[in-house]
Amino acid sequence: MNPQWITQVRRYRHFYLFISPFFLLFAVFGLYPLLFSLYLSFVKWDGMTAMQWVGLGNFRRMLDDDILRRSLWNTLIIGLLYVPPMMIMAFVFAQLLNAPWLKLKALYRAALFVPCVTPMVVIAVVFGVIFSPEDGVLNFILQRIGHLLPFLHFQGEIPWLTSEDWSKVSVSILVVWRWTGYNMVLMLAGLQGIPADYYEAAEVDGASAFQRMWHITLPMMRPTFRFCGLLSLLGTIYMFDEVFVLTNGGPGTSSTNFGMYLFNISFDQFKFGYASCVAYSVAIFVFAAALLVNRLNRGEQEGA
Amino acid sequence: MTRSQITHPITQFLFCLTLLIPGCSASNRGSEQSSLLTQTASGNPRGDITVWSWNIAAKALMQATPAFERKHPGVHVHVEMTGARMQTRIMLALAAGVGAPDVASLQQTEAPYFISTRQFTDLTPVAEKYRSMFPRSAWNNCTLNGRIYAIPWDLGPCAIYYKRDLFLRYGIDPNRIKTWDDYIAAGQEILHKSGGRTKMLPLGSNDLESMFELLIEETGAQVFDGDGRIAINSAQSRQALEIIRRMRAAGICSDVPAYSQEWMAGFNDESIATYPGAFWLSGTIEDSSTDYTSKKGNWAVFRLPSVVPGGIHVSNLGGSVLVIPAQCSNKTAAWAFVEYALCSREGQLSLYQSEKLFPAFLPALKSPAIDARDPFFGGQHVGSFFAEGVTDIRPLNRTKNWTEAVGYLQQDLSHWASTGMNDPGFFHRLELKLESRLDEPSARSGDSQQ
Amino acid sequence: MGLSRSVRLSVYRALICMLLSAMAILFAFPLYWLLISAFKSQAQIFASPPLWVPHPIIGKNFTDLYRETNLPRAFLNSVVVAAGSVGLSLFLCSLAGYAFAKFPLAPGHGKLFAFVLGTMMIPSAVTLIPSFLVLVKIHWINTYWAMIVPGAVGAFGIYWMRQYMSANVPNDLINAARIDGCSEFGIYWRIALPIARPALAALGIMQLIASWNSLMWAFIVLRTPDMFTLPVVIYLLQGEMRTPYGMLMAGGLLTALPLVVAFVVFQRQFIAGITSGAIKQ
Repeated sequence: MNPQWITQVRRYRHFYLFISPFFLLFAVFGLYPLLFSLYLSFVKWDGMTAMQWVGLGNFRRMLDDDILRRSLWNTLIIGLLYVPPMMIMAFVFAQLLNAPWLKLKALYRAALFVPCVTPMVVIAVVFGVIFSPEDGVLNFILQRIGHLLPFLHFQGEIPWLTSEDWSKVSVSILVVWRWTGYNMVLMLAGLQGIPADYYEAAEVDGASAFQRMWHITLPMMRPTFRFCGLLSLLGTIYMFDEVFVLTNGGPGTSSTNFGMYLFNISFDQFKFGYASCVAYSVAIFVFAAALLVNRLNRGEQEGA
Repeated sequence: MTRSQITHPITQFLFCLTLLIPGCSASNRGSEQSSLLTQTASGNPRGDITVWSWNIAAKALMQATPAFERKHPGVHVHVEMTGARMQTRIMLALAAGVGAPDVASLQQTEAPYFISTRQFTDLTPVAEKYRSMFPRSAWNNCTLNGRIYAIPWDLGPCAIYYKRDLFLRYGIDPNRIKTWDDYIAAGQEILHKSGGRTKMLPLGSNDLESMFELLIEETGAQVFDGDGRIAINSAQSRQALEIIRRMRAAGICSDVPAYSQEWMAGFNDESIATYPGAFWLSGTIEDSSTDYTSKKGNWAVFRLPSVVPGGIHVSNLGGSVLVIPAQCSNKTAAWAFVEYALCSREGQLSLYQSEKLFPAFLPALKSPAIDARDPFFGGQHVGSFFAEGVTDIRPLNRTKNWTEAVGYLQQDLSHWASTGMNDPGFFHRLELKLESRLDEPSARSGDSQQ
Repeated sequence: MGLSRSVRLSVYRALICMLLSAMAILFAFPLYWLLISAFKSQAQIFASPPLWVPHPIIGKNFTDLYRETNLPRAFLNSVVVAAGSVGLSLFLCSLAGYAFAKFPLAPGHGKLFAFVLGTMMIPSAVTLIPSFLVLVKIHWINTYWAMIVPGAVGAFGIYWMRQYMSANVPNDLINAARIDGCSEFGIYWRIALPIARPALAALGIMQLIASWNSLMWAFIVLRTPDMFTLPVVIYLLQGEMRTPYGMLMAGGLLTALPLVVAFVVFQRQFIAGITSGAIKQ
């Protein structure tokens, strides 16, 4: 058996050669960090002085860590605030842009998608200016609207960045603005993958527009929705640039999401051991949750 | 080995692994780089040095630079008012071994944390001769195991700022306020006579930690003992907390958060009668006073009350230091600058006069500039007033866990304040919390050592 | 009753167009604000009522920026890092993708590919600290290598190239080249790569966007101003007490402009890059 194996390897040696850079880089920047991070989860270390073994100390501390809990809560709230509107808007716009009679498609698509290519730091800085409570243009516009439509009882001066609640809203608005175009484009591709005959057949059968959407579009779009959903989930948990630049997690810790908190304990406080523990634990948790959802979805599909 | 064997991916993989094994052990760069500054090195400094500092401090240093450069023509000092996240960037530079400035300013409260990374130059050989010229309380934040790693720059000695006309109106004589009991009584009198309009001091529930810190320097409590163990559960701590409780219970505290709009407005209206604070508050007050009673000279300062009659009446909040990272490639020039700025009367007084940074350098405190009358404070010798008793300030053991510890302290104090201020087990629970969060044991419960 | 169907349809369509236009304006507004604010003074940026069109147009922000930060150098750094990232990434991903596509019989092929796909599930948050430490150890901190190499080969890129090459590079062509004595690498370089150009373009664009816009990694691994990329310079302009908003807007504009312009010109390729293949996952 052995010589045969070696001959096979020699015969396909270029295969191994060509894929080796990936494995090399992965070994250095993926596997080794993964293992070292696991080891770090059991020590107390600031990266410069001596390491101190603490066993399960970091895990115990994690259970006690109310700022971590707060950051996870904030992550959930921010996610709930931005994912539904973003997905709905992306889907609606994708539908609209899919219409055959529409002119200027490229223009609309460009306007909605260009936020995705702009650097997040720049966007966050601009939003910081627009969202400024006293002299930002957004509050100015809102005040004008409030004057024009007094029955709305609208005050107009919203503390976008200085209030504990509104800071989360500000981050969410930023993210919606940034990623709607991206999701829209993905959904557009998904929509274009649905054969037109399905719709024609349904129309012949007398289905209304709503029924067509419910019974054809939505089911056929499931893979797309799942993909977008997965991206959004990961994006929400590890979101960093938006929070870092717009609110720095503030005021206080009111808009600190998990990604920001991880950066805080890693590079503001230099708690390498504890940070590794937290990162690992949450990553495993998310992974398990994603697997679970996947299995549930699979089960549902097979049952349907 | 044949060529194809060497280029075989498995060989390469193993090779790289061996390169990385040394990375598994703890980095101990500190031992080689924290080199001692030798006396002989301070011969003829030349070259460029970079200094990182924050707004006011940076401005002061920039103004002191020309005189320094005249003394040492070969040195060019570049002071950077660094932008976002200075502490993080310093730590990253220290951990990475590249990018740290030659000189950096740090808050006194965080200096022990930075010094514990062992990435700073041991200044003992050149700074030992200045030991007696700075107060012990300042050195406490600059030394580790007896060796000097930072030089104290400025202090924040505390007193009570008050409005003369209000005290006159309600018949309060500041010279009769000797203890906190007297202070609280005076506050109640003012409250009563003003019909509830004027509170004695601002003490919001989120600012209790600074008041606590101020008070434990008088009662002698410590958060940590000399070995870094948790020592907060003590009678002295309870004593300090009791004073806070009585102040709040007496209704003399205004709940405005420090540095908020209302807090600043309090300088100019009648809502608040006194502001306990450090020397650096005077600048803020002067800048923010618009035309409260349109008269300069209405503000004055009186001695901090003591806990017991005849007890300590000095305390300290804030202050900063200068450090020289071990990475610095031009330690001679860096030290020359630090020595000029902080260990000379000329340097310290220039920093005082440009930005009102209260010198920690004791010889500088005996000077006309410090002794000058301040017209804003009605001609009071404010500088000398604060300078008196500076050497009596009790050193606090800060350790590298200070910032985190006071964070937890503040949280617990806020909670305590909003739930009736009635909790005999407060410090016991805090001690347990600190033990677990900081991974430090507690000193024996009971009266702590100083 | 009353309006005919076609009229109702026209109205409906007109409303849709208005809605889309409104959305387009809403989405483009922040970028418009960035553009005009770069030419306003700080006071004008925060003027109330707001200044909808800058008047007069001020160039001071740009000169201040040039004077106080090393913006040209930062621009160069961003370009070098982006070019390096894209180049290295395209090369290594296409090489591995080609191998996985065209050597299905090599022993362990299936398991190795599954392994590659599996690595996609490792979040970078977990490897962040040790990666930083590795870079410190090999003295790559504050160098271009630190920005280019670690993220160069991603599992997604390999998957992407494999899918495309699998479907579009004919085996007969490869076999013919082998018979003619072409080296394996030559086959990859001269046959597979040219065919895979659309996929390379798409992947390259995604990598370009990620690299140019990277902030967190750049903030961590770049330590001296002469190595900062544009996003880092922008971020650090925010001071503790006082932020020079004029310079911030001007710098932001210069940082965003290259990619936005590239997007507007190559819109089709950008979008094709994101979509085709993504859904088939």
